[in-house]
Amino acid sequence: MTWHPVILSIQVTIVASLLILIFGLALAVLLARSHFPGKVVFETLINLPLVLPPSVVGYYLLLILGKGGPVVEWLGWRSLFTWQAAVIASAVVGLPLMVQASKGAIANVDPTLEKVARTLGSSEREILWRVTLPLARRGILAGFTLGSARALGEFGATLMVAGSIPGRTQTLPLAIYDAVQSRQYDLANQMVLLMTILSFLALWGVRRLEQPT
Amino acid sequence: MLEVAVARRLDGFQLDAAFTADTGLVVMFGPSGAGKSLTLQAIAGTFLPETGRIVIAGQTVYDSTQQINLPPQVRRVGYVPQHYALFPHLTAKENISFGLRQLSRREQEQRVSELLELFDLRGLEHRRPRELSGGQQQRVALARALAVQPRLLLLDEPFAALDAPLRGALRQELAQVQERWGITTLIVTHDLADAFALGQRVIVYDSGRVIQQGTREEVFFHPATYRVAEFVGTGNILPAVVEQVEEGTLWLRWQGQRIATAPAPFAPGTPVYLCIRPTQILIVRPDRLAERERETLLCGHIVSEMMQAETYTLHMRLEHSNAAHDLEIVLPAYVYHRLSLDAEKRLMVELRRQALHVIPRDVGAT
Repeated sequence: MTWHPVILSIQVTIVASLLILIFGLALAVLLARSHFPGKVVFETLINLPLVLPPSVVGYYLLLILGKGGPVVEWLGWRSLFTWQAAVIASAVVGLPLMVQASKGAIANVDPTLEKVARTLGSSEREILWRVTLPLARRGILAGFTLGSARALGEFGATLMVAGSIPGRTQTLPLAIYDAVQSRQYDLANQMVLLMTILSFLALWGVRRLEQPT
Repeated sequence: MLEVAVARRLDGFQLDAAFTADTGLVVMFGPSGAGKSLTLQAIAGTFLPETGRIVIAGQTVYDSTQQINLPPQVRRVGYVPQHYALFPHLTAKENISFGLRQLSRREQEQRVSELLELFDLRGLEHRRPRELSGGQQQRVALARALAVQPRLLLLDEPFAALDAPLRGALRQELAQVQERWGITTLIVTHDLADAFALGQRVIVYDSGRVIQQGTREEVFFHPATYRVAEFVGTGNILPAVVEQVEEGTLWLRWQGQRIATAPAPFAPGTPVYLCIRPTQILIVRPDRLAERERETLLCGHIVSEMMQAETYTLHMRLEHSNAAHDLEIVLPAYVYHRLSLDAEKRLMVELRRQALHVIPRDVGAT
């Protein structure tokens, strides 16, 4: 078994997880604490990758990241069929899990605690870091773990925007598909076992986080 | 010292309250949902009225006409909400020092240490709120609010979460804290005993409005309206009519009886309510009648008796009267036991004129 897909998968998942953490947290705070016109539509758009077929998500990403798309035109960043495109695909698909869980946890924090913090002189930013986020940490961690696990297992959208170039953009799920296609069942078995263990650990971790101590 | 006028229309509720208070313990008293907590939050700056004006220690913190609305961070008001709202993820010590960020570490340590000492929380500083008793939680919440040296302390139902025996002890503690810090303290309560024990000044709320404000004596013994009389547990609010105005005495007629009260500005024929608290009705022993000639005496018999921990509540019915006009009387248990009532449970009571209070009655209204 070649280790390249494993290492690439880990690399993609780490970077995608960072994006999920930063954007997911910001979106969760925004959705939990503020009201603005079009909020429901906005939230639905974020959640869309949960229900859309991966090929549809991949197609949209092709439009956005590809030639003539805004990323190439405005930012001059050509990412299609590189590992960075795999990162984007994984992050987009993992994001809604993070946002949903974190938003719920943040909305559950008693607003009275935040009011008291205000009367004690804390700024809104201080309240976020010292009261809201620490109290929502379980939900945030659970969402983060689920989002990262989803990013690790990303297949369809990744295939469309990053391809499945062995040694360059072929992540673990893609390599498994490839191994089965070429009837290398020993290789497939090893990689499937590895994926299963990683996913099991992630879900088990989430369960532990959700149980109050 | 404190000047409050706030109004805001909410779903099915209109808050329109105004009062003033100087120093000491001020109780905001009234039924649940009367707007007391909202007023408290408006003063703290965590609830925005539509119109009004709030002045704390000479500083206008809110004024709708001048568009002033200082954020809660700079109002310097200590706010202890119902159930205390301690930060559950922080220890007692971290809770108390929460608002002290701008101080140096040494100053923080020193102030927290003083407060731990003062509120008898030594040894509990590393506990989380859920590991503290109700009384300890209350002390941590008070210490946290006082740590930032506010100029006003707001307490929302501070005893609601506590058992009766603890309430008494904590009332006393609260009064001591107020005295030691000399800080004007506003307490919201719907509990009559709390209001009576703590309120040097009492502000009575009803459906979003202040219906009376004054000293404890004024509000509890001289309620301005029927509604206030009801809230403050007057017990006997009797519809009577002014019969005669005489030098030094106002004569009323109630249930065919002539009753003498202290002079009050009412013309003969005016419908009034005659108020007397159940604890202020005195039992007269027949052998001591001679000393009582200037006061009103009433005869009747007891129709119901109810025993409480330390007292008896009796209902006395006058001759030729009915249940709608029974007098409620509360006696210490030992007095009751000395009454040695006969089979008919006949009783003579005295309504002393200082204990009687007369309020106007709008005929047609309740």
